[in-house]
Amino acid sequence: MGKAIRIFKDKRAITPVLSSLLLTVIAVAAMAIATSATYVITTNMRETMSERIAVEDVWFNNSTNSIDLYLYNVGKVAVSISAVYINHNQSYAGSFRLGIGDHNWLNISRSWAPQTEYYIDLVSTRGNHVPITYAT
Amino acid sequence: MSPSLMPHKKGRSAISSIVVAMLSLVLLVIIFSNVILWSYQMNQYDLQTAHEGVKITEITNANDGTEFAFENTGSVTVHIVALWIDNSTQHQRYPVNLFINSGENLSFFTLDINLPTEPYTIKITTERGNIAVYT
Repeated sequence: MGKAIRIFKDKRAITPVLSSLLLTVIAVAAMAIATSATYVITTNMRETMSERIAVEDVWFNNSTNSIDLYLYNVGKVAVSISAVYINHNQSYAGSFRLGIGDHNWLNISRSWAPQTEYYIDLVSTRGNHVPITYAT
Repeated sequence: MSPSLMPHKKGRSAISSIVVAMLSLVLLVIIFSNVILWSYQMNQYDLQTAHEGVKITEITNANDGTEFAFENTGSVTVHIVALWIDNSTQHQRYPVNLFINSGENLSFFTLDINLPTEPYTIKITTERGNIAVYT
């Protein structure tokens, strides 16, 4: 009994245990943060390099006075078109989303002239560009 | 603490440095291997896309429908997913599901497509995003 009381009274033994425990917690937290950062960085890089968009059709639509682009997501990730530049002028700003294998029209309200060449540049939210040149 | 235990205690700091270095190395290897692996996969995909070659060789009106003839001129199997008929007033997309092996020809007949009387352009789109045009 007297020995047990002596052990509880001896506070010197607790300090190394606490410091070891604290060090372990800090080390685990640091590794968890490093692993999460690794995952986020590699995921972003992977998604950016996996984007592929095909412009199936460009329709200079006379009836709606617009330039309609038919886009097909042929990449490995979903894409979102955030901007379209026609002859270096921003003609579309928004969030046109296409899942993997999806395809749809992106209608851009913009006047156009016959027998003219247009340079169209699509920009995704991840910063990839799809440049095409079409003549009316 | 007895003096005989001191070297062991000092030795722990060296082990922890090695452990930290090893774990950092593992993380770096994971990052680089992931990036290199994905880069390789996408390069293979782009290479296959570049090796794809398909032509529309003939289009004929037959029995109230239309017959299309395709030729795979590339070195990989082609999966045609869409057929377009464009003219000045309409751009119509018809979903199709046709596979053509390398070097082979394929005829596709459909009652759903009637060719317009005015000048038109016919296009096909492959699964990898390549387009062949027939005017």
